[in-house]
Amino acid sequence: MAEKHKPAPMVDEVSDFEVLEVAVRELAIEKGLFSAEDHRRFAEFAHSIGPLPAARLVAKSWLDPEFKKLALEDGFTASKEVGIDWLNPTGFGTPSDYCDLRVLENTPSVHHVVVCTLCSCYPRPILGHSPEWYRTPNYRRRLVRWPRQVLSEFGLQIPADVEVRVEDSNQKCRFMVMPMRPEGTEDWSEDQLAEIVTRDCMLGVALPHPERKADDKRPVHKAANPVHGH
Amino acid sequence: MGGQEKNAGTVPVNQEPEFSSVSLLEKVRKQGKVWEDLAQKYGVDNPDPPWKINLDSTCEALSAEQCALPVLERRNEEDVLSESLYQDVPYPERQLLALTHSMIERGLIDEDELALRMKFVSKRLNST
Repeated sequence: MAEKHKPAPMVDEVSDFEVLEVAVRELAIEKGLFSAEDHRRFAEFAHSIGPLPAARLVAKSWLDPEFKKLALEDGFTASKEVGIDWLNPTGFGTPSDYCDLRVLENTPSVHHVVVCTLCSCYPRPILGHSPEWYRTPNYRRRLVRWPRQVLSEFGLQIPADVEVRVEDSNQKCRFMVMPMRPEGTEDWSEDQLAEIVTRDCMLGVALPHPERKADDKRPVHKAANPVHGH
Repeated sequence: MGGQEKNAGTVPVNQEPEFSSVSLLEKVRKQGKVWEDLAQKYGVDNPDPPWKINLDSTCEALSAEQCALPVLERRNEEDVLSESLYQDVPYPERQLLALTHSMIERGLIDEDELALRMKFVSKRLNST
């Protein structure tokens, strides 16, 4: 007897927000603010990106000292070995991503964490879309002032004898963190290692662990005293 | 094209813009069903609504080639609106309202024509 096919659940109603999104897009195209073709290309790019190439870059670096040297010296060239060409990430070009990727190596004495204090610049081609908390003024303004406090809110306690370095992204320079390889992964393959290098580890707000393969959902806080333009 | 460039724009980025509410967007804010509620109601686990990619692409396209809305101005205004008029709206609905607000504010789209277009779109999407 054939098994009953059970369709995956889906949202079966149209929200006002969905209607608004379509209406804004259609009007913008009709007014010539951008073309439908441009929009389609950006959407294709957005669909195609995620944190896996960056996780692969870290895993390869953990296994191959030569590749690690390359990644730290020339993130741009190392990215190509995990399938990302920063000069042409979309096949049609996004100048936002014409930039210099710097890979920041964590060591027993230095921990890196990434922010964009001005807006929300992010190494999208290799790390995918930024999480909501990364975009918030609260994270952006507090991380540079009280990095240890903010990291502890992510559940990450950095020992006092470890220096914390906050890297601020800018127009041409994007950053990702190369965390230290955790104990308990000595015989692991590149695929296994890549699974535990999550997005948060590569932003510096979490550490890889042999049993941790997904990032936690984070609460988002309002900025108590937002400082505009800083 | 200028996706995330920080040098675009004509309004000083260190000047905090002030906004008043837009009645059409207030109506959407109050009546619209947000994705986290819809997802829970229908038992789906996608973290983002299906229209999020289109929204992001619209933001990108607006900052590209003709640069109708420079990215830094959009992000600054989104920050301000997210902590004022739309502070009780979850993300990414908040991002959508903020973008639309910025576009209306600049005259890139008109509130009345947007309201009319929403009626057409709603009818189209809900047709059986």
